[in-house]
Amino acid sequence: MWDKVYTNFGYWDVYSWLAFFLIAGGMIFFIRSMGRKDYKKGSDQDEIFFGSNPVPEDGEDLKVPASSAYWGYTQALKPFYDGLVGLHTGIATDYVGWYILVTALVALLILV
Amino acid sequence: MNWQDHLPALLLAVPLFGAFLAPLTTLGGKGLRNAWFIFVSSVFTLIAFLLWVRVGATGPAIYVMGGQGWNLALPSGLSIPVRILMEVDAFSAFMVLLSAVAALAGAIFSVNYMERFSGVEKFVALYFLMVTGMFGMEITGDFFNFFVFLEISSVASFGLVAFWRDRGEALEAAFKYMLVSTLGAMMVLVAVAFLYSRYNVVNMAALGKVIEWGMVEKTALVLFLTALAMKCGAVPMHMWMPDAYAEAPAGVTCALIAVSQASLYGLFRVCFTIYGSFMGSPMIPWVIIVLGVLSMFIGVSMAVIQKEVGRLIAYHSVSQVGYMLLGFGVGLLALGDARAMADYGFTALKGGVFHIVNYTMYKGLLFLAAGALYYATGSRNLNEMGGLARQLPKTMVLFMIAAAAIAGLPPFNGFVSKLLIYESSFAVHPILAVFAMVTSVLTLASFVKIFQTAFLGPELKKFKDVREVPGSMLAGMTVLACAILVLSLFPTWSLNHLVEPAAKALVDQASYIGAVFAAAATGGGL
Repeated sequence: MWDKVYTNFGYWDVYSWLAFFLIAGGMIFFIRSMGRKDYKKGSDQDEIFFGSNPVPEDGEDLKVPASSAYWGYTQALKPFYDGLVGLHTGIATDYVGWYILVTALVALLILV
Repeated sequence: MNWQDHLPALLLAVPLFGAFLAPLTTLGGKGLRNAWFIFVSSVFTLIAFLLWVRVGATGPAIYVMGGQGWNLALPSGLSIPVRILMEVDAFSAFMVLLSAVAALAGAIFSVNYMERFSGVEKFVALYFLMVTGMFGMEITGDFFNFFVFLEISSVASFGLVAFWRDRGEALEAAFKYMLVSTLGAMMVLVAVAFLYSRYNVVNMAALGKVIEWGMVEKTALVLFLTALAMKCGAVPMHMWMPDAYAEAPAGVTCALIAVSQASLYGLFRVCFTIYGSFMGSPMIPWVIIVLGVLSMFIGVSMAVIQKEVGRLIAYHSVSQVGYMLLGFGVGLLALGDARAMADYGFTALKGGVFHIVNYTMYKGLLFLAAGALYYATGSRNLNEMGGLARQLPKTMVLFMIAAAAIAGLPPFNGFVSKLLIYESSFAVHPILAVFAMVTSVLTLASFVKIFQTAFLGPELKKFKDVREVPGSMLAGMTVLACAILVLSLFPTWSLNHLVEPAAKALVDQASYIGAVFAAAATGGGL
């Protein structure tokens, strides 16, 4: 029950990892506990720094939307993604077409 | 006779009875209906557990419905036995157990999730019918019955995907799912007809005993392979999956995951148990491997760019199915070569089997968490979400557990099954392991995207009044989260008691065949 998982190539020991996380967690809390506790609540020390601009009241004006995530990645792979998204037409007959095409291809590989 | 001999029959009878009685429970109000939903789900989960324990202790269980006796597998004088024969070996019992857990979690979650809608008694009836079909697919020992159960689960799922019929998208998704699924089911039926015309039997064990590698058998295998691969969402036949999974109510999607795994079960049963070592071509394993690699990479690539939380997670289903296909494909490639099986084949199979259970648990939990987000915010669009960690802290923790597990972050269970698949597929060709690892990196990236955009960030005014989701939804998610934690913290126990017996049963063709013929001998048949 507590043994390592052997994979024929190496092994996996979950408890070593748990020990690692416990030690790392302990170190994080220790470093955090060394922070200053004497800051003045409600003063400028407690304010969010927003590039010296006033912080918008609604988080809506601050947040990064999901469509902006990995913008660089998707732009770099634009030709790949254009092709990939183009295949996903959403047309029901295309779905059937892909199924028939794969069946025909596999039949060709196996039967011939 | 021991009452536990009837567990396979009870496994089908309980959800079927639950389905037929569900509409009547409305007479007792919401409370009775919900109690019935949970009670029946708990009972079939208990039966699944007892069946798994029994099969582990005593070996494959045989049960015959419609024959002269429950244990009369192949009666003498009947060349075309017409009956429902069930054969539950360690692999079937494993599948049944994890399907039952997913269905139970979906049911618990749905109690509160569906309370805002009318017609929930029909929802409950369809849910139990879908579960009956799913269990039937996993324990039947007969190809025609497999087709029947496949249709039962499919037809019930069409209704459930279209349950929110005021949404055009839900109807469209159900229609597309119905179209491709029915075509696939027809192909399964044609494949069964091919084998029946050649051997005059539809019994899986009997077929496994007599099958040869000819044109008819090859044609049937092609039809089985593509139909069942399509049903479990292999690329490029996966396109129905994001539509259906994203539109179905979250509790249903959690169970739909298990339904698609039942199709995967069917595919592996055909490849390993029926054809097995008689398969005279390495082309089939390679087709499965290529479908696996395509599914992994295309699925995750599409997931990264999605903006709707349900669709994003659904594309990951495609990707995760790819891992299983890769693992089983490598295992199938090594079948018949004892050295290759010992070197990497069995490790790949263990990885594939372990990934089935891991996937069912964490993917179910992810869909439930996506449902919780929709329930709380009324939106599925990630662009509209943000800062929800303040309002939904418990949902966030449960989501994090599932996201870390699916991304294969140590020490979670997803890492172990992926490690087994990486290392064994590397032995076949390093490029397979490279694709698997790149997929894992992109998986992590897309779940970081959900986590960052939905839960982190500043508080949004429009979500100020949002509160944590109700208790039954949290309870449903907790069931799966606990399963993930157990699988993560006790990987050796999981491998020794859950995974290895199932993987061994899958490659032990003689044992599966022998169980039916032994039952025939003891029951007076043959």
